[in-house]
Amino acid sequence: MPETVPANAGYMVAAYTAAALILVGYAVLLYRRTRKL
Amino acid sequence: MRMLRVGRWITGIGLVLLAAVYVRALAFTPVERFQGPAQKIFYVHVPAAWCAMLAMGLVGVAGILYLLLKDPRFDRFGEASAEVGTAFSMVMLTTGPIWAKPIWGTWWTWDARLTLTLFLFLLFIGYLVLRGAVTEPGLRARYSAVLGICGLGLLPFIHLSVYLFRTLHPQPIVLKPSAPSLPGPMLVTLLMSFGVFTLLYVGFVVQRYAFSYLREQLEAAGGDVGHA
Repeated sequence: MPETVPANAGYMVAAYTAAALILVGYAVLLYRRTRKL
Repeated sequence: MRMLRVGRWITGIGLVLLAAVYVRALAFTPVERFQGPAQKIFYVHVPAAWCAMLAMGLVGVAGILYLLLKDPRFDRFGEASAEVGTAFSMVMLTTGPIWAKPIWGTWWTWDARLTLTLFLFLLFIGYLVLRGAVTEPGLRARYSAVLGICGLGLLPFIHLSVYLFRTLHPQPIVLKPSAPSLPGPMLVTLLMSFGVFTLLYVGFVVQRYAFSYLREQLEAAGGDVGHA
């Protein structure tokens, strides 16, 4: 069992940010495309 | 159009619930003691992979139904699901390497699971490029259906690759014959995330389907519509 928990929260923040950017970005893209019709 | 409004509502609700999943995962779910906070990437990576595979599975099923019934709604659905699947594949392929770096010590390795998921992403891209390249609607739908069915055939290999080959990628902990091997709070967060990602998939596909339908109607009426 490790004595201390690894300090790698930066990776977690980066992954959650990337996922949010892609999903929200795609939602905005869809909204803009459908509004143009 | 009613379908478009429904799709927007589902997407909006999905995004709000995604924020709730983020709060639960980051603030109220225990940190795994061996991997540390990076293990929490699991709660976005696995549901994104599930949605990418669901999307390709449904592209394949829509392809089969199109070839059997020649109903353009299945072709339209396949196009919508493929585009949405591309977005979820991107989430899977960005969060995966970010998780791999602190745990495996490398961003990427060419083992069976990772290579096959990259292949899945490239299949989505190929599907969309194919649709952009073929202008005759009937031919485009037929070619797309065949490619979608090939994608459907890839899915069992992706799922079983961790059993069939030596790989760094962990084996399934939820989608397996025995009970999920996760502590309760982690399992609840994961299942919530699965639900929210699936809801987002539905919202995106409904919107994208409505977009294709409206574009076809405008084209049929003689309007100048770009193939964005």
